[in-house]
Amino acid sequence: MELETQNEVQKKSEKNVGDVADEKILLIVFKLGASEYALSIDQIKEVVLTPRISEIPQTPAYIKGVANIRGTVISIIDLEARFGLKPKKKVDEDETDENNVDLDTEKSNYTLVVESEEFKIGVLVKEVPNTYSIKRSEIDSSSDIIRHSSLDENAIKGIVKIDERMIILINVLSMMETGGIQTTNE
Amino acid sequence: MNVAFDRINLNDTIMSSKEEEYKEMFLSEALQNYEQLNELFTTLEKDHDDSESIDSIFRITHTLKGNAMGMGYEGIASLSHVMEDVFSEVKEGNIKLNKSLFDNMFKANDKLGALIDALTTEEKVSYKGILTKLNVILRKAREKNQPSGNSTDVNDNKEQVPEENIPVVEQETTPEAELNEVKQTTEGVEEQPEIIETSTENTDEVIEVEEEIEEEEIEEDDTQRKVAFSDIVQIPIRKLDALMNQVEQLIIERDRLIAVSGRSSSDFTSLQRITSDLQYSVMDVRLVQIGFLFNKFHRVVRDVASIESKQVNLVLKGTEVEIDRNILKIMSDSLVHLVRNSVSHGIEDAQTRIQRGKPEEGVITLNARNEKDNVIVEITDDGNGIDTEIIRKKIVEKGMLTKELAKYLSSDEVLLYIFEPGFSNAEKITEVSGRGVGMDVVKKATESIGGQISVETEVGKGSTIILKLPSSMAVKGALLFLLGKQEFAFALSYTEAVISLYKYEIKIINSGLMAKYLDKTISVIFLHDLLAMKNLDDIHNEGAFHTTYHEIDDNKKLDVIVISYGNRLIGIVVDKLLQQKEIVEKTIAKPLDNVKILTGTTILGNGNVCLVVDAVAIAEILFKSSQKSKVMEVM
Repeated sequence: MELETQNEVQKKSEKNVGDVADEKILLIVFKLGASEYALSIDQIKEVVLTPRISEIPQTPAYIKGVANIRGTVISIIDLEARFGLKPKKKVDEDETDENNVDLDTEKSNYTLVVESEEFKIGVLVKEVPNTYSIKRSEIDSSSDIIRHSSLDENAIKGIVKIDERMIILINVLSMMETGGIQTTNE
Repeated sequence: MNVAFDRINLNDTIMSSKEEEYKEMFLSEALQNYEQLNELFTTLEKDHDDSESIDSIFRITHTLKGNAMGMGYEGIASLSHVMEDVFSEVKEGNIKLNKSLFDNMFKANDKLGALIDALTTEEKVSYKGILTKLNVILRKAREKNQPSGNSTDVNDNKEQVPEENIPVVEQETTPEAELNEVKQTTEGVEEQPEIIETSTENTDEVIEVEEEIEEEEIEEDDTQRKVAFSDIVQIPIRKLDALMNQVEQLIIERDRLIAVSGRSSSDFTSLQRITSDLQYSVMDVRLVQIGFLFNKFHRVVRDVASIESKQVNLVLKGTEVEIDRNILKIMSDSLVHLVRNSVSHGIEDAQTRIQRGKPEEGVITLNARNEKDNVIVEITDDGNGIDTEIIRKKIVEKGMLTKELAKYLSSDEVLLYIFEPGFSNAEKITEVSGRGVGMDVVKKATESIGGQISVETEVGKGSTIILKLPSSMAVKGALLFLLGKQEFAFALSYTEAVISLYKYEIKIINSGLMAKYLDKTISVIFLHDLLAMKNLDDIHNEGAFHTTYHEIDDNKKLDVIVISYGNRLIGIVVDKLLQQKEIVEKTIAKPLDNVKILTGTTILGNGNVCLVVDAVAIAEILFKSSQKSKVMEVM
């Protein structure tokens, strides 16, 4: 709820500021593995405590399954598994051992509900995410950085430096839209 | 001919309910027409040059006339007829629009409204007065126009009324009296509508006296203007869907509350009753009689039959059976295809029929009936029937199976192939069949709503395609079970039985598992094995279906759900049976919308998401894998 109002404030400020580079944007920053990642707040509908997840068969390991979020069944994805930020062994175990999955989701306490016109997905995060307001000019989206990152080209939008910290700005929706989630059959 | 057959097959109650339905439809449309006319007259009165309104009035009165004639409502038909005629002259420019004409038109429209109302109230309505008056105007305009050739406006016509009146109102004994009234009316009208009312009323009275039948009504007439309201409300389906959704959420919430309260559900009987009643009421609103669709098939059959020069009669049965509007919509193309197919492939030409000792005219029967929660639709023809040997040959020709393998198929199994993609039994591509949707599309559509399709046939006697459709999309019966820690469900429409088996009763046969059920041998699968596969291609791996089997103790008692699909029975071993429950299934949202072995999800009372397993997909997976192993055997 709080996030939504901030979102609106930000949208209003967007209208007033003509200069694109000076335009402020709000980021939601969260940890994946050891690094910090961020999503633009426009894409996030809400942050909820992770509900119980039902596994879906024949899907890639990073698809944790589906969960009931306010009466709607949405897909839950684990970006750590998606980006290969987990020890390999662990990912494999998740597949077969359900106890392990439960432990794992317990650790992923929060779910960011990301919404586009086309679909809604939940992104697992371990800690309460923070918000940061940055200028658009602070996003370094030079192609070098993107090319040298281990992530998909369409997933990463740029790097934001705040003091000593490096935050990777990603776009989950375009990642899902272009790459899609393929079921493992066919 | 078709009509006659209809009647024979429908008993009285159905007939009357059908008539009632038509009447309701007519009423709703007629009232709408009436209101539209009111609006259009008002618009046109403000702007006489609005040719669009003139056209609309002409069109609406024309439609109304046609509908009323069809229903046998003489009054409405004749009044709208004359209104139509007047506006046809207005269109031609033979009648000029002026105040007096509008007054007459409004008056006529009010009468029209009253006549429509009278269909339900059965009150008598006198409309002959205005009818005569409009006829006078019309006659004048026509006669004036023809001999002289120059158009005169209605005001001029007024003066000429005396001569022209007589032929119109032949039966009237005192044309002069009436005439004077007309004059009075049109003159007294100038300013206030109130005056019109009274003066036109007088007109009526005069005529009324002559036509004794209608005397009584005059007094009540015109005293107050009522706004007409139809008894039918048209609702966009979108709103009904939203309503349904809310009710579904309410039910989920109810179950959740009952679950957390820790009290027995009998404490909540009235809550449960009210919510289920509500749910069924909303479902009921969405139901339509299947006859709405069936009736359209007369035309479909006629068209196809005439292209193919066949004589075919369509018989409709069970048109009163109700089914969810969305299901009917999804199935309508498929049904059209099936009916066309029956005419095109099923029914023989007259000559062949005579040779076979059948009546010249072929018969196609569409039959709907309720069976538990399902609606069974059968499309039967008394034609060729399907020769399974020809199909078997085709299967081999199309390279769908090898010759050796095709021999192993039973007749029933062979018939299932007509629903396979790429299989068209049409000997030649005709205008009618052999293109567009195929039987595979029909099958897909049927299964997309949780239905089943099957075929029965006898060579030379005819075929029947049987569709088993859910009557409502919103709620379906499901069998809930546990697998691991997760809840799953099978749609009840595919479950045949629930049995208990000891592990030692299940035997390994080739790559699969088999067990006895009643007097049959059925395939058995541990659902866990299937769900644990990372890739469905893994079914071809050695021992893919034996994993769980080897892990468990021989004396373990297993819960097995027997599902039936297209003549095949399959035993599905689950961890634990939970309960039978009505669920509200939702398809899985993007991006997980292409998961093959699930049809959707539902939210349970405890808030958990329960996955609905696709019995059809499982049956197909097993069928394919068993075919592969058959191939191995043969080789």
